Amino acid sequence: MNNEGRMALLNEKRSQISLGGGAEKIKKQHDAGKKTARERINALLDENSFVEVNAFAETRSIDFDMQKKKVPGDGVVTGYGSINGRLVFISSQDFTVIGGSLGEMHAKKITNVMDMAIKTGAPFISINDSGGARIEEGIDALKGFGEIFSRNTHASGVIPQISVIMGPCAGGAVYSPAITDFVFMVENTSQMFITGPQVIKAVTGEDVTFNELGGANAHNSKSGVAHFMSENEDQCIEKIKKLISFLPDNNLSDVPYEENNDDINRIVDSLTDIIPEDSNKPYDAMEIITSIVDDGDFFEIQKHFAKNIIVGFGRMNGKTVGIVANQPKFLAGVLDVNSSDKAARFVRFCDSFNIPIISFTDVPGYLPGVNQEHSGIIRHGAKLLYAFAEATVPKINIIVRKAYGGAYIAMNSKHLGADMVFAWPTAEIAVMGPDGAANIIFRKEIGNADDPIATRNKLIDEYRDKFSNPYIAAARGYVDDVIEPASTRIRLISALEMLAGKRENRPAKKHGNIPL
Amino acid sequence: MKKFLIKVNGNQYEVEVEEIKGGTVASQPTVTVSSPAPAPAPAPAPKAAAPKKSTGGSAGSVKVDAPMPGTILAVNVKPGDSVKKGQVLVILEAMKMENEILAPQDGTVSSVDVSGGASVDSGDILLTLN
Repeated sequence: MNNEGRMALLNEKRSQISLGGGAEKIKKQHDAGKKTARERINALLDENSFVEVNAFAETRSIDFDMQKKKVPGDGVVTGYGSINGRLVFISSQDFTVIGGSLGEMHAKKITNVMDMAIKTGAPFISINDSGGARIEEGIDALKGFGEIFSRNTHASGVIPQISVIMGPCAGGAVYSPAITDFVFMVENTSQMFITGPQVIKAVTGEDVTFNELGGANAHNSKSGVAHFMSENEDQCIEKIKKLISFLPDNNLSDVPYEENNDDINRIVDSLTDIIPEDSNKPYDAMEIITSIVDDGDFFEIQKHFAKNIIVGFGRMNGKTVGIVANQPKFLAGVLDVNSSDKAARFVRFCDSFNIPIISFTDVPGYLPGVNQEHSGIIRHGAKLLYAFAEATVPKINIIVRKAYGGAYIAMNSKHLGADMVFAWPTAEIAVMGPDGAANIIFRKEIGNADDPIATRNKLIDEYRDKFSNPYIAAARGYVDDVIEPASTRIRLISALEMLAGKRENRPAKKHGNIPL
Repeated sequence: MKKFLIKVNGNQYEVEVEEIKGGTVASQPTVTVSSPAPAPAPAPAPKAAAPKKSTGGSAGSVKVDAPMPGTILAVNVKPGDSVKKGQVLVILEAMKMENEILAPQDGTVSSVDVSGGASVDSGDILLTLN
């Protein structure tokens, strides 16, 4: 063969591989409302920035006549490119190639780009759309999974890892997304589960559809496995790009800076009266967040899960911050099993990647109930305490209203190492609310009084006047300043600038043992 | 029907209470006053749950339940009302806060299973929609 022939052979092989499973399978994919593996990469990455790696990988399995099957790229497209100019590594499973099933080489391609991502310190994005392990390859497929999970773990806290579920992700395959930092799902077309509806029906007799069991809604609102839900793949891709814009490249980088015109000295008048006169009435904590972040641009995470706490990213003075806020509109803003998990994982992600944490506290306590206790609220609540205490990034807390008891401690208190704690004049920082306290402290007095009800009310009012305010905590230095709500943005930006060079040492250890 | 012997201000009352589940119409608790019977100490009645008087209607397919244990402060709708997603249906006092229970979707109120003053537990059905 001469040189011309060799070039022609290369081009022919390349074009065959880029067709994936062929025109018919591609049409089927489109008909199901799904893009192909390559279309997704092109939509997500900057135009013409994608460089494919290991396109020519081929399975070496010969069991079950594997050598007769056409498996271009072994069912996955891998490589690197940029998103808004920033280097990212990507793998995208190809459902049109024998169902995107994972074989030895398929996994090897993925682990190859993961290794490159770790070495170069850039985010890794994994698009899942696969029927699962390639049964024909047997244990070699399992080996493939194991090596992916191992790298997910080694990369955890080193580079941001994002999983995008754009099709089935079943059985053992789900553990890769589970280990990564963020999981995106698309309504109707994505599912995640360990055992599917047929096996469940056979074993437990329960009847359930794919979507009910492990669809986007199930994992975004019930299980808390997923972080984002989109109506379609285009919206999902836009969300991924937005998330990346908040994140640093790796754990040794600073947070990205995006210039904007939002004045760092902006007075936020709308906050002055946002807390209702009656401390029993709810308000929307989201209004506080959106009024203080740059341009009101808040990127919420796990919006549909544990709605009694809000977590997400915003920018202050152009730089990314992580925000945690109790939401009094749901479950009175209490802390419970799910909200503790949600917030703790977010706090630890921020700490891994040098993202300062700002918390807005309005928490009346932990949710009472046998269900909570037996579900391990002790264990789960402890996670949030651990996460805040462990974090060495700048930590700033603003107590806007209630902060009672153990929940006061858990919400980024001075005692867990918060660098600056502000309180609004409406703050009520106490060991418990006035009604509860009256029942305990003044029990005898109420019992002996002529008019117990009137006495109780009087004592409650006295307790409220004396203790339901920020000044006792401020007297002790547990609160660094009591501020006008309208000045919150200015004070936060000032504190963030002051804390920018923060260094905090901890005793050397392999790693802690966070309650799980 | 559970029967309790309740002593109030020195008078003894025999009270029958029926626990309502779902959207069935409640029968009013009957109170029979027995003259001061030489009653042995009334059986330690567990805190007799306030009967959850329903305002009737039949159960719809969408159940709206209490997310926390608490007391109903206000019921803002009645059977037959049409509601929009996010509309405040019930105010539940829990954790010393007024918690708004919102409509999970657009629909018509099928049945209302609680009224003001009722004590509810997590998971108790407050009302149903169609």
